[in-house]
Amino acid sequence: MTPRARERPRGRTRRTAASLVAFACVLAAAVALAAGPPAAAAGGAAAAEYRSFYGTSARLVVWIVAELHLMFGAFVLGVPIFASIVEVIGWRGGDPRYDRLAHEFTGLLAAAFSTTAAFGGLLVFALIGLYPRFMTFLTSVFHETYYVYALLFFAEGFTLYLYYYGWDRMRGRLKGLHVALGILLNVWGTVLMLIANAWVAYMMAPTGIDRKTLEFVGTTWQAVANPLWIPLAIHRVLGNVAFGGFIVGAYAAVRFLGARTEAARAHYDWMGYVGNFVGLGALIPLPFAGYYLGREIYSTSAVMGNNMMGGAFSWTFILQAVLIGILFIGGNYYLWIGMGRIEGAERYRPWVKYINLVLLLSFAVWLTPRNVPLTGEEQTALGGQFHPLLKYLGLMSAKNAAVNFIILSTFFSFLLYRRGNKGRPRPFAAHGRVGLLVLTAGAAVAISILLWYARALLTLDPKTLDLTAAQAGYFKPPAYLLLGQAVMVLVTATLALRDRGTLAQALFFASTTLASVFVLGVYGFVVMERANPFLRNVAVAQWLMVMVCLLWNTVLDVLVFRGAETAGGIRWGRMPARSQYTLILLCVTIVMLMGLMGFIRSGLREDWHVYGVLQDTSPWAWTPTTAYMTRVVGAIVLGFLGLVAFVFWLAGLGEKKDHGGAPA
Amino acid sequence: MRRPFLGVAVFTVVVVLAIAAVGEMITRVSGEGGRRPAVAVSAGTITPEAGETVFWGKGKCSTCHAVGTRGGAVRGPNQGEGGPLGLPIGARAGERARERARATGKPYTATDYLVEALADPGAYVVQGYKNEMPNPFQPPIRLGSDEVRAVIAYLQSLGGTVDLAAIKLPAGLEAKSRAAAEWKPYVAGDSEKGEKLFFDVDSSAGCGKCHRVGTRGGSVGPELTTVAGTRDPVFIVESILEPSKVIASGYETVLIITKSDQYVTGIVKREDATTVEVADSQGRIQQVARADIKQRTPQTVSMMPGNFKEILTVEEFHDLLAFVLGLR
Repeated sequence: MTPRARERPRGRTRRTAASLVAFACVLAAAVALAAGPPAAAAGGAAAAEYRSFYGTSARLVVWIVAELHLMFGAFVLGVPIFASIVEVIGWRGGDPRYDRLAHEFTGLLAAAFSTTAAFGGLLVFALIGLYPRFMTFLTSVFHETYYVYALLFFAEGFTLYLYYYGWDRMRGRLKGLHVALGILLNVWGTVLMLIANAWVAYMMAPTGIDRKTLEFVGTTWQAVANPLWIPLAIHRVLGNVAFGGFIVGAYAAVRFLGARTEAARAHYDWMGYVGNFVGLGALIPLPFAGYYLGREIYSTSAVMGNNMMGGAFSWTFILQAVLIGILFIGGNYYLWIGMGRIEGAERYRPWVKYINLVLLLSFAVWLTPRNVPLTGEEQTALGGQFHPLLKYLGLMSAKNAAVNFIILSTFFSFLLYRRGNKGRPRPFAAHGRVGLLVLTAGAAVAISILLWYARALLTLDPKTLDLTAAQAGYFKPPAYLLLGQAVMVLVTATLALRDRGTLAQALFFASTTLASVFVLGVYGFVVMERANPFLRNVAVAQWLMVMVCLLWNTVLDVLVFRGAETAGGIRWGRMPARSQYTLILLCVTIVMLMGLMGFIRSGLREDWHVYGVLQDTSPWAWTPTTAYMTRVVGAIVLGFLGLVAFVFWLAGLGEKKDHGGAPA
Repeated sequence: MRRPFLGVAVFTVVVVLAIAAVGEMITRVSGEGGRRPAVAVSAGTITPEAGETVFWGKGKCSTCHAVGTRGGAVRGPNQGEGGPLGLPIGARAGERARERARATGKPYTATDYLVEALADPGAYVVQGYKNEMPNPFQPPIRLGSDEVRAVIAYLQSLGGTVDLAAIKLPAGLEAKSRAAAEWKPYVAGDSEKGEKLFFDVDSSAGCGKCHRVGTRGGSVGPELTTVAGTRDPVFIVESILEPSKVIASGYETVLIITKSDQYVTGIVKREDATTVEVADSQGRIQQVARADIKQRTPQTVSMMPGNFKEILTVEEFHDLLAFVLGLR
């Protein structure tokens, strides 16, 4: 590792420190202005409730600034998570490439941190200036959290300096301490995010409100721990990791396309692969985190929940499905191209067309709306409001099955990629006691998860779902399938012990697909008809089966192929340009997706600042069309990516063009 | 490095534009953003048709309930024919009422059952469905009592007999609802004539001189493109007849007295460190140097003329109101 020049970091430190101070001042100003008594009102003159932004829409200004702040926020939270994971892999695996990658990306954080703070300050000013009534209300509930937020910002900034500038000093024996600093950085970042999440989640699910006077009478903690706080946090953390991974992938792609040496191409090819891996890895559980969040939104307010999936926002979910489709198919496509640089992977190429078919069909299901506005003639031609077959594909049960199939297929793609250059599997006995321990522990965890939920379903009180005792019979089939999967874990573990690991993997894949996609996919329609409230539990059973499949198959894969013969090497850098454009496509898509989801989350409140408590009576309280939304979000995305490119350029100023230590 | 960067930039813009094009297509296909018909349910207009408009619009009932083959929601019972419950709501309400009477020991008519289903949705939930229907009187839906009556009339019309006289909302709700009763126009206006009055600068109203609707009109006063979606009719009527009672934020009038004792009255449209731009009632902009300002006082009187009571006929006022209430 070439030591970094000393002058530049000092400048960066000053810049970041200045941004921290500026941010703290902004927060202090916000608290002082918003928490203070409404002097104007007290004096007799009516206090302004809203102001326009130089005659234009205040909502549009806040939308743009908040979204840019959020995107940079996701970047400065996602990248440290990415860097920490990569650093730990490098440290434990003894591979210096990972350490260098983590360091390279941490270097981008200083400039990104300042930009995030600047947008945060701008957002606070915009909210105080344009939405004073709302800010007064929010501050009256949350002012105590503002100080903690500001202090955490300092903690995160200082930990970042120690982490980045202490990289070279904390090698060898001190590496563990350095890794701990990285984890601490992520702890601060996550707590910061949790505080900000509390504010926006509260706007959707206010607690501690006197329903007669609509005034806040609760405690700050009650407000923070509102029902959407944790579901939103889980969704955002996973989203940030995927976001960080795909940004890294795009950065690597741009550098790859401009690289002049084989070594540089190899380095950035590998970096792109790691970025895509992390991005896809976080993307896999995201639909379930989204389902959980959606479920909680529905539980908070049936009106808001229905508006989301069956009302004004249902069409935006069609667009969401398109974007997620691009992410999954694009991620798989990149893996398939990547198999071209792996000697021996040609054996698995024939599988690709089948995986592709499954992905496309599953997305077709996911995209199918339940109904669309039809003219009288169109209805006559169709024989009614719904298509006789396609109407079923528009229901949640079909969509749950489709998303499970997509995830299983993507994981299957990844397993094929992993074993591309592997030869004959290693006999199980060669792993010794450690192998047996890993197999036992993996099986125990997998079986425990399956048994836990099977038991929960069998002992579920139907009254909690407003169902009768007779309807409790519908709880049994998914419970028995979970028990069946637990038995399958034991069967496949036995096969693995007898050196039939690949057969075990195939069997477990098949049984999971059969149970979670086909059997429960169809059974979901029965439940919707006969015991509708139980459908959410069916979805959880499906998801748990898929997650256990991913976990258990990974354990088996490691045991089967760790230390196995290799059929050839990986020719890093031998990737066509289209693979790099795929990485860029993934990055642009996830940024667009983040903008879209931000719009949905915020828009669900419709004309309420704080749902059901503080109404938005400004002239801008209308729900935009999808067309308008994509125009605004598209412009924000281009602005964000332009700024990120600028930040990358800033961070690279004066850096040596050294890509030594290229991947083997 | 420059050439690939240019290619990447072009590719990025193309991807964003392609996704935006999907958004445009969705809006065209779905018909979202089209102007919704104005709903102004009042004592004189409680009809099944008005209730149908509330059911499929403001009341958001259709996000949970389908009616026969109309709509696709399955969370709540299908209120039309052909759903899992077979009969439409108007036809099955009688049986439900008998069940309610047996359970509570009180007399129930079919309409009483429908009233209870809306006023207290959790009282008797249809088997197989979750107790999750929100109270339509409460936020965030907040229907007025006449709107709820209209919805009940619509439900009665689905396989039953419409009987407005039988709809008796609980006394407490009625009183609460009356307290927040909406203003009821007593002359049905013609919104087309109202639109002409609004935009014709030579007419007695000429609102378009100062107010913008969509791409038409001036920008001295607040934009009114979706005003009926965010303000209730009472507020709108008051704003036309008594514009000074509540002045929209950002449109307060100021009186500026310059050092040369010139009086400038209007709305501050822009100001910076050196100048203040003030728009008068005709939309003319006057610049005043900050250094020249002797006194600046906020005014409690709106720039909007306060004499529409005198200059508009009753018919013109209701035509204009019909147009404005349709701006959603």
